[in-house]
Amino acid sequence: MCGSHISDSPPMLTDELKKGSAEFLVLSLLDAEPRHGYELQKLIESRSAGVLVFHVASLYPLLYRMEERGLILGRWVEKAGERRRRYYRITPAGRSALEAQRTTWREFVGAINRVAGVRYA
Amino acid sequence: MRERNGTFDWRSDVRARLAGAKLRPEDEAQIVEEVGHHLEQQFEEMTPRVGQKAAREALLAQLHEREFDQAVAGKRRREAPSRARVWTSSSILQDIRYGLRSLRRSPGTLVAGSAALALGIGLTTMMFSVIYGLLIKGLPYDDPSRIAVVKFIDPTQPGVDALVPLADVTKYRTQQRSFEFLGGYSDATVNVSGGDRPDRVQASRVTRGVLDVARVRPRLGRLFVEADVAADAPPTAVLSYALWRDRFAADSSALGTTLRVDGRPHTIVGVMPPGFEFPASTRVWLPLPTDPAPAQAAGGGPVVSLIGRLRPDVPYDNANAEFKELARQIAAARPVADTNSHLRIAVLPFVRASVNPRFFTLLYAMLGAVFLVLLVACANVTNLLLDRAVNRSREIGIRTALGASRLAVMRQSLVESGILAIIAACLGMAIAQLGITLFNRAVAGAPGPMFWMDVRLHPPVLAFVVAVAIAASLVSGLLPAIQSSRLDVAAILKDESHGASSLRVGRLSRAIVVVQIAVSSAVLLASGFITRTIVELRNVDPRFDTRGITTAHVTLATRDTSRQRAFFEALARDVEKLPGHEDLYVGAGLPGTGWIAHHITVEGQTYRGDRDHPIARTLSVTPGFFQTFGVRVVRGRTIAAGDRAGTEGVAVVSESYARRVLKGRDPIGGRLRVSSAPDAPWLTVVGVIPTLFASTFDDPWPPEVLTSFSQQTGVASAALAFRGGGDGASAAAALRKIVAAIDPEVPVYGVQSMTDVMAQPLFLFDVFASMFVVFGVVALALSAIGLYAVMTFSVSRRAREMGIRLALGATAGAVLRLIARQGARQTALGMAIGFSLGMLLVRAIAASLFGVRPNDPIVLVVVAAVLGGSATIACVVPARRATRVDPVVALRSE
Repeated sequence: MCGSHISDSPPMLTDELKKGSAEFLVLSLLDAEPRHGYELQKLIESRSAGVLVFHVASLYPLLYRMEERGLILGRWVEKAGERRRRYYRITPAGRSALEAQRTTWREFVGAINRVAGVRYA
Repeated sequence: MRERNGTFDWRSDVRARLAGAKLRPEDEAQIVEEVGHHLEQQFEEMTPRVGQKAAREALLAQLHEREFDQAVAGKRRREAPSRARVWTSSSILQDIRYGLRSLRRSPGTLVAGSAALALGIGLTTMMFSVIYGLLIKGLPYDDPSRIAVVKFIDPTQPGVDALVPLADVTKYRTQQRSFEFLGGYSDATVNVSGGDRPDRVQASRVTRGVLDVARVRPRLGRLFVEADVAADAPPTAVLSYALWRDRFAADSSALGTTLRVDGRPHTIVGVMPPGFEFPASTRVWLPLPTDPAPAQAAGGGPVVSLIGRLRPDVPYDNANAEFKELARQIAAARPVADTNSHLRIAVLPFVRASVNPRFFTLLYAMLGAVFLVLLVACANVTNLLLDRAVNRSREIGIRTALGASRLAVMRQSLVESGILAIIAACLGMAIAQLGITLFNRAVAGAPGPMFWMDVRLHPPVLAFVVAVAIAASLVSGLLPAIQSSRLDVAAILKDESHGASSLRVGRLSRAIVVVQIAVSSAVLLASGFITRTIVELRNVDPRFDTRGITTAHVTLATRDTSRQRAFFEALARDVEKLPGHEDLYVGAGLPGTGWIAHHITVEGQTYRGDRDHPIARTLSVTPGFFQTFGVRVVRGRTIAAGDRAGTEGVAVVSESYARRVLKGRDPIGGRLRVSSAPDAPWLTVVGVIPTLFASTFDDPWPPEVLTSFSQQTGVASAALAFRGGGDGASAAAALRKIVAAIDPEVPVYGVQSMTDVMAQPLFLFDVFASMFVVFGVVALALSAIGLYAVMTFSVSRRAREMGIRLALGATAGAVLRLIARQGARQTALGMAIGFSLGMLLVRAIAASLFGVRPNDPIVLVVVAAVLGGSATIACVVPARRATRVDPVVALRSE
């Protein structure tokens, strides 16, 4: 459990690959709706079927860094009967960054496929 | 490992983890809350799967990863905003947007705060624009501050300045160095004729160059030149625009034609532009020759006021010193001993010299009073904002936790008071404009208004509004701002009600209310005395009738006493033809103002010099005076028809004369002279009348002597008064016809009712006094509202305490007393301070008081009662609400 980002990670997914994709993942998840840190962690974990796991030590530095760069914006929100939470939402700058990353990702995956000949059913 | 109620305190873990990171407290608070919450949730989720111990260990391990430490702490340190960033325009704009939004959410603060400030700013602005238009702006000419008057102030006769002999003008002019130009002028009213009807107008006789002082070019023609002031020059005149318009229908061919002034034709050489009335509400200017004829050289001839334009580099102090020395030299060189050695010489700016010093003091006292009202308004806003700061302590705590610096929190608070001040300044200007309109309307009918008066929202007045608004927002916002920035963030985020008490606003608000009560007591006390003065003036019994009487004046241009006598005899005879009149009076003047003060010689008394003689005001009257004005003698008889030229001279004196001049001796049968000259005729006192009101503040019931108009010689002017005779206009027309039939050159002027005559001298006072009363009422209202708000606030914060007291068996009465006692303490302290302050203000306006001494106990008691009463209501209403607190509700509420 003391690994920096991953628990039970398959050997082929390196730390670097995840590091590079973490920001992309967060932006993609916030593109749909504002979410708080714990929700982000859970979503990444469940949607990647446990392949990608972030925890406090990696998630929050990432969020704060993204917030500082103006990609996302955190706000305290109080809901009836709940403790208040800090919700993050994507900013216009974040959205254009997301678009750029999606394009890069598609091109990258396409290139990999063409070179490595991985085929999809 | 911290454990609380079987769960772990993850926040403490996070806080401990961050301890070495030296984060700013607000950053730390945010991370602690966010990450602590995260860990707590994850712990709850993991525990059923792996057990408490394993879950805790796993999460603590995550928390202690190096990356967390470096990334979070490093980033946060970098992010700490510099001081400079707090003041960028975008962050201020953001504050303004935020301030507007949050004020919109509390309309109460917005309305109450801006209304209070608007009243304060409005009144201050209005008062300042009056002072600016009257005293500061000066004459509407080039470099007006350099236009100066040399005053010879007689300390024994305040408000009456001595004049200098015309011959001295040349001496002063040639010997002085302070003035670019120095000349003399004298005011006079003259008869102008040579058109459809004669008129009585204000004239200024000026030495050459006096008109040039203003640096205003004539609209038509020219100003006076050397040739106009030569001793043998043909008479010339320069007309004001108003006179040119009224008598010549603004026809430019009037130039070069003649205007008859006091019966002599004067060639019109120029017409001044509209509004030019320098130096004395002048309608026509006449040249004053300075050619030193023998009589003038000896100090005889006309006397004038010295006026001129100071050199740009000469300070007033230097000019003062120079003229003091010059006056001494000129007096020493006079062949006869100077009787005016007691005069004080002052070189003053024209406007300053032309305004009665008493009026000057009153105006500035009023400005002081409105500033106090503004202070009360600011105090109200301060309390509102403090109240708001408490209610928003949690919000402020969060802002601080989110990274707002102390400075930023203060700025946010100041921005909000600034927004209030801006709204208030706009409303205040509307209030000021309304006040100015009312003021201008009120003084429009004023007799002889100061011609340079121009009360508007001048640009400097607008600058004043901006300055006042900024000052008001600082004064009212700074305390709440400082208090807000001192909030204990951690305490607030834990427990709002506890955190709020760290503001300690209670004590502060109460102190502010004490100041408020003090200031408004001071203003209220002053307006109490002014109100009393107004009431006294309205209710004063002048001891003569004023109702239903029409008055008018005639003045002859001729100095020929036999022609004068013939005219007045004809007038007395013909005026009887006035249709519908009842009582009728023709005499030297009217009761009230306008009598002439004379030195009196009482037979049997010896006097060493002029100044030893008693002074009485005198008026020569005909028998009609007593009937028309309903004046009854208390002893002896009135002036009778038989008291005419050639018979024994008679006088009727007032009771105050008997008391003050004769020290209570019986005046009847005694003899007096209405002069200090030994060759003046003796008059025998034949009757005593009640003292008639003199319509003045200085000595409203002076010694008075009535003489017989018919025994008087050298009378050029007369007043008429009659009852009935139709309305003013038709009576005036009939009267003009009668007078024109006797002498077509003699104007009938000043036709007005006796009540208007009486109102005139006090007219301006009435306007200003009413303003003062408004200030007092506004101050009272504002401070009562302030006290009410603070009491309400303090009661609401103590609801829990009241609940406990009531639950423990305290009676409603006891709780009421507890709260009322607090209010009473503040009120008493405030009033004690305020009354001492108020007495200073009252002393400043003491000269403007009438019929009331500055220590009048009735005013003091009434003002104390009004203040105490308002304070009691302001305290009792919230206190009663406190007693209705349901203990259960109060205890439950946090």
